[in-house]
Amino acid sequence: MNPAVQAILFYVFAFGALLSALGVVALRNPVSCALSLASCLAFVAAVFFGAGATFLGIAQLIIYAGAILVLILFIVMMLNVKDEHPAAGNWLYCVLGVLAAGVLAGTLSSAALRLPGSTGGRCPVHVLLEHADDLCPVQGSAQAQQPQTTAPTEYGGMLPPISMRDGESDVSLLGKNLFTHYNLSIVVLSFALLAGAVGAVAVGRKLRRD
Amino acid sequence: MECFWTWCCDVLRNPTWFYLLTTVAKLVLVFAVILAFVVLSVWIERRVAGWIQDRPGPNRAGLPLFLLKPFGSKKAQPLSGLLHFFGCPPDGCIARLCRWLRLDREIPTFGLMQPCLDGGKLFLKQEITPSYVRKFYFILAPMLVLGPPLVAAAVVPFASEVSTPFGNISMCVANLNIGLLWVFAVSGLSVYGLTLAGWSSNSKYPFLGGLRATAQLISYEVAMGLSVIPLLMVFGTLNLQDIVHTQATDGWTLLPFWGQGLTLQRWVLWIPMALSFLMFATCIFAEANRTPFDMAECETDLVGGYHTEYSSMKFASFFMGEYAAMVIGSAMVVTLFLGGWSIGFGADEALAAWNEWVAVLCQFVMFLLKLLAFIFFFVWVRWTLPRFRWDQVMKLCWLVFVELAVFNIILTAAILYFVK
Repeated sequence: MNPAVQAILFYVFAFGALLSALGVVALRNPVSCALSLASCLAFVAAVFFGAGATFLGIAQLIIYAGAILVLILFIVMMLNVKDEHPAAGNWLYCVLGVLAAGVLAGTLSSAALRLPGSTGGRCPVHVLLEHADDLCPVQGSAQAQQPQTTAPTEYGGMLPPISMRDGESDVSLLGKNLFTHYNLSIVVLSFALLAGAVGAVAVGRKLRRD
Repeated sequence: MECFWTWCCDVLRNPTWFYLLTTVAKLVLVFAVILAFVVLSVWIERRVAGWIQDRPGPNRAGLPLFLLKPFGSKKAQPLSGLLHFFGCPPDGCIARLCRWLRLDREIPTFGLMQPCLDGGKLFLKQEITPSYVRKFYFILAPMLVLGPPLVAAAVVPFASEVSTPFGNISMCVANLNIGLLWVFAVSGLSVYGLTLAGWSSNSKYPFLGGLRATAQLISYEVAMGLSVIPLLMVFGTLNLQDIVHTQATDGWTLLPFWGQGLTLQRWVLWIPMALSFLMFATCIFAEANRTPFDMAECETDLVGGYHTEYSSMKFASFFMGEYAAMVIGSAMVVTLFLGGWSIGFGADEALAAWNEWVAVLCQFVMFLLKLLAFIFFFVWVRWTLPRFRWDQVMKLCWLVFVELAVFNIILTAAILYFVK
């Protein structure tokens, strides 16, 4: 796709995501909040699509927007929560909230400032797209042989290079990696999730009185 | 004229414009086909219902001949003129047969005008928005029901490719590498419409209907996703166009009679494939909210379910959404299990070698025929089986289908590994 079109679409979807994220916090009705969260997730999925991570975007749509948020909506509707009124000013909450927001804003802005090229007054997305090949651990077939020079050491060393054949979708790539490089982690993680599910059933089960 | 022709060629030679124009053309075609099939499936539903229940069904709405009155009196009307022309006696056997078919009163459409007239009726009805509803969501809900099936249709392949001097055209609107997941993701979003319709009506029965719809759709989505995994293990791709191509050369999933389909492995694999088909088709029934799974609009306990408070076109768009979901569900079953657009027995390649456009046309007709057949099956089931009880529906999903699907995955893996 044309990089300019890609950048424009990115900004449109990112703006939509920000707007609906704002709606989650600002709207009074809990159902409206849940729905804005759903639309926020859908916009983020669109951003993923634009970045070429189609499977991630689809997973976001299926799992978060299609299942988890529907369950949240279900529960909110069942509880029949009335419109939320702003709590009377508890100064402790205010201080804590401002602190948390400040830390988050600092983290985000420092990350944004460290984006390659963002200091030169150029569009950071455009620069990221130019440098995408250097940053991405997935390499095209031509680059697969070259050793990676800039290892992101602060994130636990260099990721194993993955060569992508032409015409291969990112789904099969993801599957191959999950079941080769990360097989052990996946098994451990799935056991943890299974334990969680069993625990939830055990906690939620009604005990017979007889 | 010459100038215009060269201009057209220039525009088409630009890859961006070529892509845009062909995509828009395919989009319009798919949209038209789905909306036509919504109308057609309403007609099939009512005629088959009549047939099954041993009554005529809507067969009387034709194009009445009084529309032709300006062209002559009743004496000179087409039927008597036609009988006279062929020299048949006006009270003979043929004339009586024609009268019995009501040819003297109308142009027969076998009741096909009925859905159109129904649509017109719903369009002209009074639009009532009760005063107690939550208005924004009340208006949003029908859109959320009708929209997703139309969007999901984008990835369904309806014919193979043709090559033109300007580039190749793949006959599906978006040839995504994750086509199947796209259908799941988008059709999963239609649950919002039902939930919000139930909640925003601000009345008890619609609310219960909305809750039932939510629980049912989410549960059956899980079973549906698990039930197609054996199929994906066999085909090794999520691209629907590739899946149909494989079926065209190596035999449909359920009818492996040619190509690679005649090997031992494929015939042993038929068992998990048939299991998968049964589960997937049942889940499609549940996802489309059709009897025997129409718990959300069960008249006996919920008045009308989530659409009790709706009237006029908003009500109609719920029904159009339901029928569109049925059409897309049938298209998915046809694509995954019954060979999609493929004509079968190697006829696709032979036709494509002769003339690609003819091949594409034949495949498109074949796809529509298969779709019609499966829609007929949908309707047949609806008017044959009674409605399930609510707990039975949930048990069927969580205690039967999910376990069976997981077992089916393991069985397929074992067959793929051991039977060569």
